[in-house]
Amino acid sequence: MSGRTPLFVNTKCECGHQNPAGTVLCEACGKPLLDNTDSGDPLEMRYDGMARRSQKANPGIVDRVWNFFSSVKIAIYLIVLTLLGSTLGTIFPQESTFLNIDPSTYYKQRYGTAGEIYYRLGLSHTYESWWFITLLVMIGASLVICSLDRVLPLYKALHRQNIRKHRRFLTRQKVVLVRKIAEDSDAWIAGAVQPLKKQGYRVMTDGSALLAEKHRFSRWGPYIIHIGLIIFLLAVLARGLPGLNMDQHLVFPQGDIIHIPDTSYYLENEKFTVEFYKDEEMPKEFRGKKVLPKLYETKAVLYECTADCGDPSKEPKLTKVASHAIQVNDPLSYKGMKAYQFDYDLTPVLRSVTPKLVNSATGESYGSFKLEMKNPERRFAAGPYTLELKEKYMEFGLNEEGQPISKSPYPNAPAFLFLIKGPNLPADGEQYFYFPKQNDKAEFQQDAINDKLGGAGRFLELEVGDMSGVDFSESTSYLNLRVDRAMPFVWTGAGIVMLGLVLGFYWQHRRIWLTVDGGELTLGAHTNKNWFGLRREVKAFLEKMNISVDEKSLENGGGQA
Amino acid sequence: MGKARKPVQIIILVLIVLLGGYAIGTSAFGGDGKPEEGSRAPSFELLGLDGKTHKLDEYKGKPIVLNFWGSWCAPCVKEMPALEAQWEKWKARGVVVVGINVGEDQMTVQNFVNGTGVNFPILMDPEREAVRSYGISPLPTTFFINAKGKIDTIHIGQLDLSTLDAQIGKLVNR
Amino acid sequence: MSLLDFSNDAFIAAFFLYSGAFMLFTIAILGRRWSGRSPKEHTARWGQIAFIASAVGLLCHLAYFFTRWAGGGHIPVSNMYEFMTFLSMMVMVAFTVIFSIYRKILLGLFSVPVSIIVMAYAAVFPQEVQPLIPALRSVYLNIHVTLAAFGESFFAVGFAAGLMYLLRTVNFNSSSKNDKRQQRGVEFTLFTIIIIIGFLVSVFAFRAAGYETVFTRSNVTVDNPGQNDSKIEKVSYRMPPIVAPYHSKIESFQSILGIKKPLTEAPSWMKGVNAGRKFNTVIWSLLTGAVIYGALRLIARKPLGRALQPVLDGIDEGDLDEITYRAIAIGFPIFTLGALIFAMIWAQVAWGRFWGWDPKEVWALVTWLFYSAYLHLRLARGWQGRKSAWLAVLGFLVVMFTLVGVNLVIAGLHSYAGTD
Repeated sequence: MSGRTPLFVNTKCECGHQNPAGTVLCEACGKPLLDNTDSGDPLEMRYDGMARRSQKANPGIVDRVWNFFSSVKIAIYLIVLTLLGSTLGTIFPQESTFLNIDPSTYYKQRYGTAGEIYYRLGLSHTYESWWFITLLVMIGASLVICSLDRVLPLYKALHRQNIRKHRRFLTRQKVVLVRKIAEDSDAWIAGAVQPLKKQGYRVMTDGSALLAEKHRFSRWGPYIIHIGLIIFLLAVLARGLPGLNMDQHLVFPQGDIIHIPDTSYYLENEKFTVEFYKDEEMPKEFRGKKVLPKLYETKAVLYECTADCGDPSKEPKLTKVASHAIQVNDPLSYKGMKAYQFDYDLTPVLRSVTPKLVNSATGESYGSFKLEMKNPERRFAAGPYTLELKEKYMEFGLNEEGQPISKSPYPNAPAFLFLIKGPNLPADGEQYFYFPKQNDKAEFQQDAINDKLGGAGRFLELEVGDMSGVDFSESTSYLNLRVDRAMPFVWTGAGIVMLGLVLGFYWQHRRIWLTVDGGELTLGAHTNKNWFGLRREVKAFLEKMNISVDEKSLENGGGQA
Repeated sequence: MGKARKPVQIIILVLIVLLGGYAIGTSAFGGDGKPEEGSRAPSFELLGLDGKTHKLDEYKGKPIVLNFWGSWCAPCVKEMPALEAQWEKWKARGVVVVGINVGEDQMTVQNFVNGTGVNFPILMDPEREAVRSYGISPLPTTFFINAKGKIDTIHIGQLDLSTLDAQIGKLVNR
Repeated sequence: MSLLDFSNDAFIAAFFLYSGAFMLFTIAILGRRWSGRSPKEHTARWGQIAFIASAVGLLCHLAYFFTRWAGGGHIPVSNMYEFMTFLSMMVMVAFTVIFSIYRKILLGLFSVPVSIIVMAYAAVFPQEVQPLIPALRSVYLNIHVTLAAFGESFFAVGFAAGLMYLLRTVNFNSSSKNDKRQQRGVEFTLFTIIIIIGFLVSVFAFRAAGYETVFTRSNVTVDNPGQNDSKIEKVSYRMPPIVAPYHSKIESFQSILGIKKPLTEAPSWMKGVNAGRKFNTVIWSLLTGAVIYGALRLIARKPLGRALQPVLDGIDEGDLDEITYRAIAIGFPIFTLGALIFAMIWAQVAWGRFWGWDPKEVWALVTWLFYSAYLHLRLARGWQGRKSAWLAVLGFLVVMFTLVGVNLVIAGLHSYAGTD
């Protein structure tokens, strides 16, 4: 490698070509420039012996940085460090796997001292840590610089290849044959063209020299992979740009239309379904023992706000733009925004009740009204009576001073205080406490409270006849709303990587050089991969030319594939 | 590339430094997107109890005490008198106290305000949008925002009169 | 359910055919000396028979796969049993591909047992056809899992060839420092393989004996400060407990050899009740493995690596090096497509993010980085021959950790795969 390569050598080849410093094999004739011994060892054919850009006398600071990233050795170190760094992040779960924890205490509590150390070292967020990102950035730099440094010389070398190569270049290839032949040299070469073409080679001749080449594009495979990886990394980086990315977990009670923050969209969960496998769908061993979910589905409707958006004093005007039955593996998708099934809760949430005002003495009903849990009407009429809603408690309770309060904003134990006016009631009305849920009614002793408020002559009651008077949101679906505008570029990068992999790994660049000099045929052949296949191909070719050889005997340098 | 070699190298290295710096900066030091002390206060657009829509922008140039509260949250209720007293004390010097109710409906908020005699502006956040953009988890949480719109201090938990006074004083004298 | 019954029969047939093929490969290689015929002819002939046996085995294996698919209603790669059987099938496919290129009989002697071991490992897990949970109900289950396993199976063949290269080239007669290290490395690799066999032997032996001991333990968790949740955890040992779970009680104990209580207890840092059981399994595997290894050493009267070396006499080491590399080079793009790209596509569809640093994802990336380093070292730094072979052996260890170790030790989003 570069370390062992003397930088100052006479780079003018005997064929007259002036080579740049660092050239290993003459750019024109391929004669090995560095060692003039008659060694028969296979040549180092990487980049066809061209000087890499980085190999230059008198490096300045820019060159030094450039050379650092241009080194494959450094690239391998970076790969290995990233590999080791990644494994560290899998020892304990990362912070990002939890929605709601305090990492400063969680790791110590859950994993003891080891967890504490893990957290202190910052390994609980390995993949966002400065050193890990720095490694990725350095890999990106290495990808760019390594590729640039090699692809241009390689392109030049392959673009203007001399057909006639120095004899020592040929005999020091890994696949070599030297044979006496009786025929005229030019005629033999001319006869070799057709068989090689049949094998799929592009053949060029120059008198008694021949170059056959195929699948050169395979040489670009690695660089295509690297370009793909660079695009991939840039796309990942671009995801962080403002406006390109959104990620929110939102709660959708069945039947409610919920605004999606930072967008003009609203989403309604029309119906959430969870299904489990029936016993007959399960294997014998599981029946009656295990419950396996079969389906989570949210029937969702997406609305777009068309007018009065963002102004909380007005009701937004909504137009339906999309609807989809969201399942795991099947999100709703609209103009780059996606809604994923994330979680669910089957606890019913009370939305409204429609109680009747009745005379408990006579059983007479004065009529009913709808009482919403959220933003209820303040005034109701039932027959001759008017009910004024004075107070409302979503989760009824008493504070330290014994006063009624709401313990949460969720309608877990709702209670309402009415002031009822009408016939046979005091002029300034009668107060009435109403608990819509039956069990709250008993627990908080609604009757006793009202007896106290209304006195002995009290005869009015609010009652819900049957379940038709109660409106529940049966369940709640948790959806994950996402926008990721950089994804097309991520996939493009991944696709290019794949293309490069296929080109680079499933085809091989093969070249066969032939020269016939003074009745002696010299054959050298080179491939970047799969010497076995090349030898087989050369053998097949030679057989057509009536030269029989053993595949193994073509090999030069003893088994170094 | 030939003669353009050096400039090309420099351009590529500069690009790598810029993009890399950006990557490291945003990923490793970008925090989790929640506003922190020193960062700009996120804007909001919420309905006030007065029936009008209010934005953060309308208080531009004034120090703001932004208090997130709920009627069910006992410490929120307890700190209301202190907030009211400080509002009375400092409003002449341009300080604005704004209470943002979290997730309750108008009736509850109105009843609560009537019951406690709070006079500073109260906004309602039924969809919890400001809650999300301010990254609120426990209530009460109070943001002290300076006249430039930057968050000076974040206080989580109940405030007493003296801390509140000291904080506002600090805000005004900046 | 007759389709599934047929499927199970086909699986067993495949297992025995592979075992038969392995023995035939052994005869093809070892028999060349005691046969009267010319060694070359003998190897070619018996090798052909062995290859046919393995090919018929593969056909049975494919029959198992497709009938189970038809009978179960979904592609059988959805739990650990199905995945491992699929992986072993793919190892045979990869072997067949590489064999048809290079025609090296010896490759069968080393690849087929890899497949057999993976297959036996599959049988450790529950075998019933399980309906798919919603997360798995996707066409990407078919693509992602199969392609990833296919890529990995080429790495398995690369491992077999790499190990062969080492056995062929390591100088067992030298006592130079480097050669000693190589010898110990080879011996350790073989020992590791024998421990896995030891694990399989202990599982199946005690299963056949119907052994079971149950421990209970009350576990106090402090999820919310000030609120302690206590629950009773139960764990059933299918191997005699050398180590009981930390702070546990015996619920039922099946005595063995007159021993009526566990010998010792797991250390306190093994918190989970299953940690004790897993630790116990590890000890049994080591014990059984050590016994098998000791017995083999007694028979061979020399280190196993040295004993195996004559088997590889005459095989060209350059070819082995190339086969190792070729197998990995064929597997690498397939692995990239299956284990990374389609994994990302599926993750994007199911979870809304193409990458989430889940342990399984990280380890797939680690595997990929490892083989990238291998390729760079080989192509740009000229690491060929022995160093390259060591990397191929080590690489497959990384693959196996990704497939098995992550589920056993780490778990995460992929934990539905079910482990023992």
